[in-house]
Amino acid sequence: MRLTGKTALVTGGRQGIGRGIVEAFLREGAEVVTCGRRQDPGGLPKGCGWVRADVSDPAQAEALLDAVGALDILVNNAGVQVERTVAESTDADWDLVIGANCRGVFNCCRAAIPRMREGGAIINIGSISGEHADPSMALYNASKAFVHGLTRSIAVDHGPRIRCNAICPGWINTGMLDAGFDLARDPQAARADAIARHPVRRFGEPADIAAMAVWLASDEAGFATGQLFTVDGGMTAASPLNPGLF
Amino acid sequence: MGRLEGKVALVTGGRGGIGRAICARFEAEGAAVYAADLSEAGSLDAAGGASRFLRLDVTREDEAIAALARVRDEHGKLDILVNAAGIEIEKTIEETTLDEWNRSFAVNVTGTFLTSKHALPLMRKAAEGGSSASIINFGSYDGFIADPGLAAYCATKGAVHALTRAMACDHGPEGIRVNAICPGYIDTPMLQSFFTGEGSGAGGKSIGELQQAVRDVHPMRTYGTPEDIANLVNWLASDEARYASGQLWVLDGGLSAQVQQMKI
Repeated sequence: MRLTGKTALVTGGRQGIGRGIVEAFLREGAEVVTCGRRQDPGGLPKGCGWVRADVSDPAQAEALLDAVGALDILVNNAGVQVERTVAESTDADWDLVIGANCRGVFNCCRAAIPRMREGGAIINIGSISGEHADPSMALYNASKAFVHGLTRSIAVDHGPRIRCNAICPGWINTGMLDAGFDLARDPQAARADAIARHPVRRFGEPADIAAMAVWLASDEAGFATGQLFTVDGGMTAASPLNPGLF
Repeated sequence: MGRLEGKVALVTGGRGGIGRAICARFEAEGAAVYAADLSEAGSLDAAGGASRFLRLDVTREDEAIAALARVRDEHGKLDILVNAAGIEIEKTIEETTLDEWNRSFAVNVTGTFLTSKHALPLMRKAAEGGSSASIINFGSYDGFIADPGLAAYCATKGAVHALTRAMACDHGPEGIRVNAICPGYIDTPMLQSFFTGEGSGAGGKSIGELQQAVRDVHPMRTYGTPEDIANLVNWLASDEARYASGQLWVLDGGLSAQVQQMKI
């Protein structure tokens, strides 16, 4: 087991990618706490702690890290997405997306850094959308670019005591992916087209991202810091213009 | 139980600094390992020394064919190919001779092409069982940002990066993942040669002072070891990385996350 003796906080670990990371960390022997806005998460894996917290609120993030105490691993996974262009986005959309994806990551990092043990690892969930724009996801795309920039800053400012990296998932089978396809005129055809654009010919699973998170959290990644690690089945290695799919 | 149990691996440059660490790690994880290199140089008792030695000049197609034929005869498949063979000419383009330029591309780019080309049939065999086969090329952070006096090297690594993406697109549907690791400063004979070479810009500094200056510019305040690289090679080679393909994986202690460090 690669994370024995380590304490980890995974934000937003009730479902999706966060849930996959929680399960993988538990398997590797870590003590794991997750958080979310609900009072009762219902059906968390055995041994996983729960703290009710909205990470976009600085006071609640501080209280969350108080509850966790000294820690070795922070995974900033909690995030939201709104499928709108800039022209369509409302002030409420801004507060929601920037609040969770930017301010939430900042709040948790600021609260966690003084409490992290020597050799600690912060893993932020960025996105391929922070490097390449997904259509009608303006605030989300921008929020992930913020995460990428913050990741480099933390690595530079808080190394060698703390390492900080981001994982940039591609299209992972979660509720968020389903919401994206619901926008298509023909969701079935859109799915088939999207899979054909992946060299590995499938979408990712939360476990695929969790596998990278385990490696980055482990002592094996002692020289990895300040980087964006893309796990997307090869999608962004290929040009988006694919004549074979015309 | 190791994470590469039952897998067959070939590492070019397998007797070099990083290659040896990769071979040792693959052995420890339970793989059958071939260390391919120009000569069996160095102690067989040292790390990675237990791997089967395969004589291979990666610039020669006949030798690539012969090396892969031996793997085929002995195992019938190849799960993991690591293209770690590489050379570094420490010169600007003005100082670089055509022969040096051609030799850099022959080893770093053509070598990756030839070994991969002749490994593909055996890698498709390995992927038939449902688990993916994995090619790991050696790019460099120098393929993104230049070190002074390393022009041909920087250019070859940029070529490896583009080749990596192309191979991932072409062979992903056959169950073969292709990634490149882009190391920063790693403690190898190649790095020591860089410290002592004329292109290093030592400016009268002793090697010790130069080494410390290089450590100080890293957010992790150290440069890496071959084992640090082997850790990521091992992950990319394993089934845990089954969704990772077509990517360039920078491992540099945070060096390239910073902007140029001003001495003020």
